[in-house]
Order: sequence, then C-alpha cells, then structure tokens
Amino acid sequence: MPFYEHVFIARQELSPQQVEDLATQFSQIIADNGGTIGKTEQWGLRNLSYKIKKNRKGHYVLMNIDAPAAALQEMERVMRLNDDVIRLMSIRVDELEEEPSAMMVAKSSRDDRGPRGDRGDRGDRGDRGDRGDRGDRGDRSRARRQPESDDNGSSESKSEGDKE
Amino acid sequence: MSDNTSSRSAPSRRRPFFRRRKSCPFSGPNAPKIDYKDVKLMQRFVSEKGKIVPSRITAVSSKKQRELAQAIKRARNLALLPFVIE
Repeated sequence: MPFYEHVFIARQELSPQQVEDLATQFSQIIADNGGTIGKTEQWGLRNLSYKIKKNRKGHYVLMNIDAPAAALQEMERVMRLNDDVIRLMSIRVDELEEEPSAMMVAKSSRDDRGPRGDRGDRGDRGDRGDRGDRGDRGDRSRARRQPESDDNGSSESKSEGDKE
Repeated sequence: MSDNTSSRSAPSRRRPFFRRRKSCPFSGPNAPKIDYKDVKLMQRFVSEKGKIVPSRITAVSSKKQRELAQAIKRARNLALLPFVIE
C-alpha cells in the first residue's frame, strides 16, 4: 500500500479536543477501508498566511497514512463535505518519517528558549576624562617612506617619526 | 615593491569581477532536507514579495531548485507561506 502524508486545517473556532475528535473520526474511515495510520501530529492553532473562507487562523493536523488509494479518496470526500475542515492536502511519499516533523521541532525549540528576562539598567558609565595632548604628528612624507624601505621595523620607525 | 603589487593584481586583471562560486546549500553532508513543512527554511528562498528566488542568486542546483519550488508551492497551498506580500 502506498504511503501518504495528509495535512488538513480545521476551523479556528473549534477547541483542541474537537480537533482531536475530528482526526480520530477521519482515521476511522482509513481503518475501515483497510489502511493504517502511522502517526498524527497536532500543530495547534497557527496563523494562516492568507484568509481561507474568512478564517485568519486554523488548527493544523498532520497524519501519516498507509492505505489503499480508495480509502484515501473516501476520507478526502468526507472531509470536503465537513464544514469544519477548511483546507486539506494529501501527498504521496516514498517513506513515512517517524520522527517529529520540522514543524514540531521548530515549535519545541521556540518553547525552550523561554523569557529573556530583564537585563537591568546598565548604570552611569561615568566621565571618561581628558584624553590629553596628542602631540606633533611630525614630518608625514618621511614617515610614509620609511616603512617601505625596511619592513621589519616599520612600526618602530613610524613612531619615531611621530615623536620628532 | 613594484613587482610585488603586479603579481598580486594579476588574477584580478584577468577576471575583473571574479567572485567565488557558491555551492548548493542542499548538497553535501548535513544539508537540510527540502520539506514543505519546514517554513523557516522555505522562507529563506522567497523574496520579500513572496516570490521564489531564482537559483542563480541562491546558488541552488537545478535539481534541488525544482524540488524547492514544489515544496514552496505546497507550503503556499497550506497557507504556511503567502502567495503575495503586499
């Protein structure tokens, strides 16, 4: 039997419990038609990038399905009749991935970070004081020529030029 | 000094706008897998208008670019990515 990845978006007004019931209801259809469900992932309530049937948010559910094509078609047909489902997509894949998908990984890493907290006031850094006199810059034409003539002592000869 | 500078500027004179060719971000070891569910990854390959960025700019190989375009279009259909950003 072919493998499918199926994602559907449920209406925003539903509670997470209702969405779960919806998912089990659909997986029952697959089971009745001789298929199996690998895993179901609830991505939770996400913002939609654009409005779908006047919804701005939606509950995303991912299902990994191993079922004959007829079973999937039957499930899709029932889903399209259901008003709580606003979008669905099934994709045939070569193999189902068992680990949590990229979406769940991104979600958990975001939760791990936690609040950044208050870093507090940095306080007064105080007066930095007078930097003093920088002195005479010396003869500039000589200072530039000197480092080229001998590379080793370039920094020394330059500072000497500054002092003069 | 004079022969020193001439040897340094020689390759740049042959190819005045030479830039090192970037390699494809999806090939080689520990390359990310192209997946429509990975919104963060997909987002790096769309412009600020929401268009798919050409591979000549992102240096994605043509095979991977086809896969990537497919994944971005799937993500758009699921409202994970926008079709247009106004």
